Amino acid sequence: MIAPLLKVEDLTVCYHRVPAIHHLNLTLEAGHCVGIFGPNGAGKSTLLKTIAGLLTPETGGVRIGGKRVEERASRIAYLPQRESVDWDFPVTVEGLVEMGRYHQVGLFGNFSIGDREAVRKALELFKLEPFAKRQIKALSGGQQQRAFLARAWAQAADLYLLDEPFAGLDRTSSKALAEALQTLKQHGKLILVSHHALSEASNLFDSAILLNGELVSIGSIQEALSPLHLECAYGTAIYSGEHHHPGV
Amino acid sequence: MTPTSLISHLLEPFGYAFMQRALLSCALIGFTNGFLGTFIILRRQALLADALSHSLLPGVAVAAIFVGLSPGGLILGGLIAALLVALGGQMLARNSRLKDETAVASLYIVAFAVGVVLIRFSRVKVDLTHFLFGNILGVSDGDLWISYLTAFITLTSLAVFQRPLLLTLFDATVAHASGIRVRWLETGLLALTVLGLVASLQAVGVLLSLGLLILPAATAYLLTDSFPRMLWGGAVIGLLGSVSGLFLSFFANIPSGPCIILLLALFLGTAYIFSPNYGLLTSLLRKRHFHEESLERWDGHQEHDHRFPTSKD
Repeated sequence: MIAPLLKVEDLTVCYHRVPAIHHLNLTLEAGHCVGIFGPNGAGKSTLLKTIAGLLTPETGGVRIGGKRVEERASRIAYLPQRESVDWDFPVTVEGLVEMGRYHQVGLFGNFSIGDREAVRKALELFKLEPFAKRQIKALSGGQQQRAFLARAWAQAADLYLLDEPFAGLDRTSSKALAEALQTLKQHGKLILVSHHALSEASNLFDSAILLNGELVSIGSIQEALSPLHLECAYGTAIYSGEHHHPGV
Repeated sequence: MTPTSLISHLLEPFGYAFMQRALLSCALIGFTNGFLGTFIILRRQALLADALSHSLLPGVAVAAIFVGLSPGGLILGGLIAALLVALGGQMLARNSRLKDETAVASLYIVAFAVGVVLIRFSRVKVDLTHFLFGNILGVSDGDLWISYLTAFITLTSLAVFQRPLLLTLFDATVAHASGIRVRWLETGLLALTVLGLVASLQAVGVLLSLGLLILPAATAYLLTDSFPRMLWGGAVIGLLGSVSGLFLSFFANIPSGPCIILLLALFLGTAYIFSPNYGLLTSLLRKRHFHEESLERWDGHQEHDHRFPTSKD
């Protein structure tokens, strides 16, 4: 039997001993575009960061294709949040995508024809060819997101983790990014996206995860985001005291 | 003045052995520090390097007290003092509410004060101006060897680890997640910075050494969008600036250290105003209306019409 692309088992992650995710279990297969939903503080970013290997779990763990995260580091692409990137860095879009090839090329190796081809293909796939020589600040928000996706593609990643990538994008850019995610899905990649707007769920994703510190539901959009489940995640607010009226 | 006498006048400095050593030493330090500078600028650690440069003083003073002015002793002393301040700063920041820069700044001021006090107890005379600006004309063969060795160590290790360093500089978190030993690289970079500062102490002093770390790389940063070009550009600007600064100081009869710094500052100022992409002048002259994005949108609508409207239309 082939191991699932992503398996999360009994995962608990804490910040200063305060758990942000409790005993989470989930299994996901390749070729899906999955939205992660939930109220603020539900652990969406925490889950993505833990899968990326940026946070150390308190209990349980993450398996990528049956292997530990550290062994699969190059197959995972974590897209940083926009504010964590130094957009003034002296690098062009092409240079950024080339960074994705570094671990294959090694410390000294020259870029082979195959590496050049992988970079070209990534630029083409994400419609970045006209901007290849631009410095990364001279791009629109959506183009910047696509440039990072292209880097992940050049890196030959199987698992894409995106933290609120649609935040602050205008409609044109959102559409282009959604198309890019579909392209990845068609190539058999697994994409996990944290997202705040429930209304767009069915346009963007084929399945959903609903979190509220623990797993509320997982499955198709209709199933996972059913009114009952949403009530569980947002209504009986453990985290959002505003809507919580005990005894009323 | 005939052309031949002009040339012989210009070549005059090369006639002196002390001047030959000074030029060689300047060229080596200028190139190496200019190269290393790119890493410091992109990590935004220019001020940390400044703090470290001042914290060398107590180490130098202790070395002067116990072993006199031997280059080996001074280097070792300075290295230990700077490492203590760097590591001590990290420790303070981790174990208290103080942030990194507050911790390091506090420690380096204390270190500098301790240094000034200790100098009084030294049998040999340690001149503070000398500490800050060095004595380029008094460079010995031993100092030159130290410069060769430092240049070799620094340039080789930076060249070998260029790719992982680039990934770390660009995004340390993501680099760490992809299996790069970010901590080791950062510590190594710090060690190279300290080595660069200490090794150039005798020749150019800490202030000029720092100037050669920061100013050329900052100039290159304003001129290019390519990481390799910034690296080599910084190195070449550092080399040109220090060698021509030394010549200038010889003919104008002014102190060489400040002369080199002022020349490098002139380069930086020129780039600040006239840089083709990021200069002050360019941003003032740029047509505001044709913002990158609106231009692009226009481009999208006018796929088959490559005639852009000019400001006259």
